[in-house]
Amino acid sequence: MKVGIPKGLLYYEYQPFFQTFFEELGAELIVSPDTNKDILDKGVKYCVDEACLPVKVFHGHVSAIKDKCDLLLIPRIMQQRQREFICPKFCGLPEMVVNSIPDMPKATMTPFYATSKEKLFDWAKITGQEITHNKARLQKAFEAAMEHQSKHKTGFDDKGSDLRVALAGHPYNIYDNYLNMNLVKKLKKLGVGVITEEHIDEDIKIKEASKLYKRPFWSFATNNYGFTSHIANNGIANGIIYISSFACGIDSVVIELIKHNIGDFPFLILKIDEHTGEAGIDTRIEAFVDMLERRSC
Amino acid sequence: MKITFPHMGNVYIAAKTLFDDLGVEYVIPPQTSKASLELGSLHSPEEMCLPFKIMIGNYIHAIENGADTVIITGSCGPCRFGEYCELQMNLLNRLGYNLDFIVIDSPGDIGLKELVTRLGKVSTGSMCNRMDKLKAVLTAVKVVNLIDEVEAKARYLAGFEANKGECKKLLNECKNKAMDCNNGKTMIEHLKKYIDKLNVVKLDHSKEPIKISIIGEIYTVIEPFSNLYIEDKLMDYGISTKRTLTPSWWVKNLVLSPTNMNQLEIKRKAKEYLPYMIGGHARECIGEAVLAHEEGFDGAIQIFPMGCMPEIVSKAILPKISKDKDFPILTLVVDEMTGEAGYVTRIEAFVDLLERRKNHVLSRC
Ligand code: SF4
Ligand code: SF4
Repeated sequence: MKVGIPKGLLYYEYQPFFQTFFEELGAELIVSPDTNKDILDKGVKYCVDEACLPVKVFHGHVSAIKDKCDLLLIPRIMQQRQREFICPKFCGLPEMVVNSIPDMPKATMTPFYATSKEKLFDWAKITGQEITHNKARLQKAFEAAMEHQSKHKTGFDDKGSDLRVALAGHPYNIYDNYLNMNLVKKLKKLGVGVITEEHIDEDIKIKEASKLYKRPFWSFATNNYGFTSHIANNGIANGIIYISSFACGIDSVVIELIKHNIGDFPFLILKIDEHTGEAGIDTRIEAFVDMLERRSC
Repeated sequence: MKITFPHMGNVYIAAKTLFDDLGVEYVIPPQTSKASLELGSLHSPEEMCLPFKIMIGNYIHAIENGADTVIITGSCGPCRFGEYCELQMNLLNRLGYNLDFIVIDSPGDIGLKELVTRLGKVSTGSMCNRMDKLKAVLTAVKVVNLIDEVEAKARYLAGFEANKGECKKLLNECKNKAMDCNNGKTMIEHLKKYIDKLNVVKLDHSKEPIKISIIGEIYTVIEPFSNLYIEDKLMDYGISTKRTLTPSWWVKNLVLSPTNMNQLEIKRKAKEYLPYMIGGHARECIGEAVLAHEEGFDGAIQIFPMGCMPEIVSKAILPKISKDKDFPILTLVVDEMTGEAGYVTRIEAFVDLLERRKNHVLSRC
């Protein structure tokens, strides 16, 4: 059995879990290559026009591997934290993909609730049926997957550089270097270190977010609002860069909440879509870093 | 205290009754217009969805007319709608308005006690006793049901009317005169009278009008300005339309959702194509498309604001339904840049298509 894993959206967050799970079940993994021009173009071609770039790119990843596998993993991530929600496009992702791309192999459709171990096991039990009905094997593969996932550390926490920026935004915008045009590398080259949300305690973020009049509706909002608020209040970095994509409804809200909260703390918003030119982005990053330098001396 | 609230279709008629009966002062914002949208867009973040911007325009117009307290709904609407209140409060404060906000949120989030307190705030200026207050609320719910009934009837019968334009005339008349009803009792009588009038509109039963179902994002299908008055346009073409998402549907859905008893039919129909609740009203949109086909409609029109997350998912699914069932579906995306000319052309082309299909089928049998 060949299982296809598209390297898009929350792949960056759950990759150890998914890969270990299918590997342990004896499947051969077909992981799509890093995002490239061809993937982007295919995504733009197949996906609904109005969608955001990361969703389009996900479509591109699917189309790159769909003919090589028997089962395609399209995670339907429904929830990451109790009483919080996630972008509707994640919840409807399998439907979006199978109705937009022709000649699809079988795709996983089961909802994925990352709210507790039991819920995750529900996903594993059902999805694993495609490969084996052996309960013990499923259980073992699941435990191994959880184990790997728990060791998974993402994020940056650079120390030692004179300047440091907090990098906020969805994980796929931060970690897909094709999408963000090597943002982190560019910052490093300018001598700027980066810190991301994963390196701030969950409790701190939740506490910061609870100062809002209304409890945030999305987990993503809690994380990024809490993160940036903590950074700005405690001067943990010199400024914040928020990497976002056009047509992201969640970012449109979160960015406003952050702006309102941090006052005149340096804040740069980079928005990307398939038409974004690299030169323009470079200029904006450089200008921002110049400004941070001036402020810090 | 002078209360105001954002427009959403006929909601203002029910709100008027409620405040009249409670005896509290209120300001109904001027009907949503280009001016509301322009004002709203000027002050709103660019990438916010259209409903947000129009609402801001409504608030500011109402404040200019003396309102000092704004009712905002909280998480009652899933999706970005749930975040509107915080952003709108920040925004209006930043613009320097000195306002009170009453945020109506679901009891699951803020607790029933807090909800009752907040609702109590709405009626602080009221001299009514508790019984009368409760009665006022129930009357308002009745009004919203009745006005939706008037509207639905008029829109559907428009395809069959013998005298062209009669239904539209009655509907407009009904809404205009509703503003003269100064309490719940006369309002209900008034609306019932118009239902009776619509019931005796002369129909031409030989007609086989084109029937279109209007589906999509709840605000843009309900608030006529935001969809460039599509239902009025279709009425003028002699087309019967139906729309499930209405303010009364919303009220019913809100009351029934904790019991999971709401919209069983629509959920069932959506199951094959979108089995999960993903946020917004995407599942309703899918279910209604399937239902419209089964009920013998000729086509459906999906409307949503640019960037609307749940409806983008629906849009990806609808072509499949359309293909499976041989059922034409047109998608219209609206935002502040939508030009009337291009929009109308697309609607007309769609109507032409439906007409050709209909004639073709008729000539075959
Ligand atoms: S959260 Fe934003 S960027 Fe991510 S899928 Fe949803 S709309 Fe797109
Ligand atoms: S459903 Fe669409 S229009 Fe409504 S809040 Fe969500 S994104 Fe905005």
